[in-house]
Amino acid sequence: MSIVTVQLGQCGNQIGFEVFDALFSDSHCPQGLCSKRENEAYQASCKERFFSEEEHGVPIARAVLVDMEPKVINQTLSKAAQSGRWKYGQHSCFCQKQGSGNNWAYGYSVHGPRHEESIMNLIQKEVEKCDSLSGFFIIMSMAGGTGSGLGAFITRNLQDQYSNSLKMNHIIWPYGTGEVIVQNYNSILTLSHLYRSSDALLVHENDALHKICAKLMNIKQISFRDINQVLAHQLGSVFQPTYSEEGSSHYRRNPLGDLLENLVPHPEFKMLGVRNIPQMSEHSLAYSTFTWAGLLKHLRQMLISNAKMEEGIDWQVRPPLSGAPTLGKMSANKNLHFNTSLANLVILRGKEVHSADLGGFKDPALYTSWLEPDNAFNMWKTQRAFNKYEKSAALVSNSQFLVKPLDMIVGKAWNMFASKAYIHQYTKFGIEEEDFLDSFTLLEQVVASYRNL
Amino acid sequence: MACNQFTGCCSLSPQKFPRAPPRASRPSRPPRPCTRAFPDTCGRCTDGAARVPPGWAPAQPAAWAAGAQSRGDFRVRGHRLRLRDGLSGEHAAAHPLSQAPALWRLLFRVLSLLRADRASASRAPEAQARWVKAALRAQGYPRLGLARLPEDGSQGSRELLLALAWLLAREPLPERLLAQTRVRLGDEMPVCECGALASPGQPAPRVDTAGPVDVRRLQWLMGKLRFRWRNLMASQQEQCALLGKIHAYTRGCHGDRSLGHLSVAETELLRDPEGGRQLLQRLESENARLEAALEWRRRELVFWQWMDTVLGACPPEASQPTFPPRLRGRGRRAGAWGPVAWELQALQEELQAAVGARRAAWAARVGGQGPEWSAARQAAQEAVGRELAALRQAWARGGGRAQPHRPHRLVRTEAGGPGGPGLRAAEVIGVLRSREACLEEMLCQLQEQCRQQLARLAGALPGLIWIPPPRR
Repeated sequence: MSIVTVQLGQCGNQIGFEVFDALFSDSHCPQGLCSKRENEAYQASCKERFFSEEEHGVPIARAVLVDMEPKVINQTLSKAAQSGRWKYGQHSCFCQKQGSGNNWAYGYSVHGPRHEESIMNLIQKEVEKCDSLSGFFIIMSMAGGTGSGLGAFITRNLQDQYSNSLKMNHIIWPYGTGEVIVQNYNSILTLSHLYRSSDALLVHENDALHKICAKLMNIKQISFRDINQVLAHQLGSVFQPTYSEEGSSHYRRNPLGDLLENLVPHPEFKMLGVRNIPQMSEHSLAYSTFTWAGLLKHLRQMLISNAKMEEGIDWQVRPPLSGAPTLGKMSANKNLHFNTSLANLVILRGKEVHSADLGGFKDPALYTSWLEPDNAFNMWKTQRAFNKYEKSAALVSNSQFLVKPLDMIVGKAWNMFASKAYIHQYTKFGIEEEDFLDSFTLLEQVVASYRNL
Repeated sequence: MACNQFTGCCSLSPQKFPRAPPRASRPSRPPRPCTRAFPDTCGRCTDGAARVPPGWAPAQPAAWAAGAQSRGDFRVRGHRLRLRDGLSGEHAAAHPLSQAPALWRLLFRVLSLLRADRASASRAPEAQARWVKAALRAQGYPRLGLARLPEDGSQGSRELLLALAWLLAREPLPERLLAQTRVRLGDEMPVCECGALASPGQPAPRVDTAGPVDVRRLQWLMGKLRFRWRNLMASQQEQCALLGKIHAYTRGCHGDRSLGHLSVAETELLRDPEGGRQLLQRLESENARLEAALEWRRRELVFWQWMDTVLGACPPEASQPTFPPRLRGRGRRAGAWGPVAWELQALQEELQAAVGARRAAWAARVGGQGPEWSAARQAAQEAVGRELAALRQAWARGGGRAQPHRPHRLVRTEAGGPGGPGLRAAEVIGVLRSREACLEEMLCQLQEQCRQQLARLAGALPGLIWIPPPRR
């Protein structure tokens, strides 16, 4: 089943390109460590999901590109076409001549309604090309101006028009020390609107990716391209094909559907994070070997201690020692650094994947009291190696890991709001103080729900 | 009278019966002992020699029931009721070969086919007998004699035979079983949900919760259900898209012009010759069953006359079942409605009497309650009245038409071209939409009631702030 990607704004378009490129390169990678037939099935599955075929020529990405200025879109289109291996559809992009002024309210209330029809038509055309639509994958930044406002508007439209289709928004959490003064306002508005209309919010933090580039990949001059490539690697390890069931040899038809069903069925808990292990430069990869036991031990500790990468993990953090989990645990009793999970999905790719032992993830102490590991933990696997890593494991987690950053942003935004700083920029374009208050309420509720796990 | 035909134990005069063609070369036989295959049925046979009427081959009803299973599991041949030619059986008192076990098995198979309940296939005979009793009771079988039968199959073939006849009388049983197991070549589209609603399946095992259940867990499970439903919708849309493709690509390939294109099954046939062989086998077995059903229809008058005698031979019971007159599909005469109307009227009077009795009993029981009880009763009556009115409205809106029930073959025609016989997709969609609107209305009403109730509860607790969840 196919996924239609909507790339929004500069951030969304640059990331989108890297994601498609990573998916394509991996599916055509010769070092799959599996039989030819298996490799072909893998390729076919990946292609059906993310690319469409044309009579002649290379596969076309199932994507719609949207931006208010033409520069980034043109760059993206040409980069894809230059590779000669895949490309974007000629008529799949929408852009305007003018810029936007980095104003969330302008994006949501002006650009959105003005260009709603054209953009939804583009999406409709892309949907019609699919034999079967699994859902939408919308890539955008959270704190940007127009991209975020427009993205929130479009997601709401998708909810109205395709109410039965699944929607996952991939959002980029801004740097803590960001440059835009109103980025906190933008963030809370984006998050609250997306929380209402999307099914899941998959979050990548710029800070975390930056650290991965610096420490693990040993890149000296980190560019956005490097960050995006790390990100694309992580997303690829989640969305590439996996077997549909224990012991099956058919690839899963609807990974988006399965992922959402297993991780975000509760309407209050929609925030997802991705961790991937191992992650290193290609140069170092040649000299490394891994065992599943080692990888999974590190991954588990990354989950528990809320570490973003496999270096600098705090091994002191342990699950709470109480025997049988009782209902209504008081949060004071819990180890405050311990990251309680609601649900986890571990995806294993590579050699001898059937020998991997995931007992550590099925420990009830990792999870909240009202879900047992049977319901809360899922595992996908495939023998086919990903992106030349002989063994790799990814973790998609619905857990408390974003509580602190979210709380911080809400706090900062509230401080600004309390003094009514910069509000006129929003009220000028139809975002009233009431909308701000609604957003604060919703996000406080989300923070409280996650804290009470 | 002489027992050289099937008249010995009953009051039918010989002339009512189709005679066997005289066989010239047959020597006259001495009178034989009772050859009734159901010796315990034969209550008054003195000189025996009763034979099953010629031309009656009771194996027939078993055949179509058996054949329906011949695809898989059961071979009934060995248990066929061997009544043809008359057995050289012994008399009732010393008859070891009671046909009761065979009849239990037959009833079991017929009933489990009717309920499409394959899971109960392999049960012990006693369990099967119990199941048959329960199933017949559920269907309203009136005779108490059957409920009293021992389950080991040692006796009771008369009661079992009567039960079989009752099932045969209620509805066109062979046709229904045939329709259920029909070989379908087309892409079948169900047009009604009766099947889904009528058989809710096994009830889920009840899980007893040790303590209070966290509402978040319920929300989690509810959300999972919603996602699965959405994934199902996506899969169905995919199926439709692919069906459309196949139908478009195979346009003009079908021999039958009114269909015009191939179905998935037919396309698979072309691609896979092994599948074709299997299909041929299934069609042949279906043919055999059709022929058996036709045989049954030709002979069944004999069966009913025989059953009348069997019934007459029974000791009278509290409630005698009446075999309603069988109305055939073709040749329905005008006068045939009379008895049916009479039966319906009698049934209505009976129901009214029963309802009246119940009402009186209930009124007597609750007569002594206080005023708040009568207020509650008033409210309940009003609510019931409203619901009835809503139902009537919904029925009127939904057209009140008799809905077709069987699945239909999906055929794609050119836009604007002459359509074939059968339902139009647009009609079916219209009916479904109106039903959807009704259900949506009901859902909104129920949600509003829930909201009001929650608001009342929240208002009852001072100091409680009510934050509704974010709207989906």
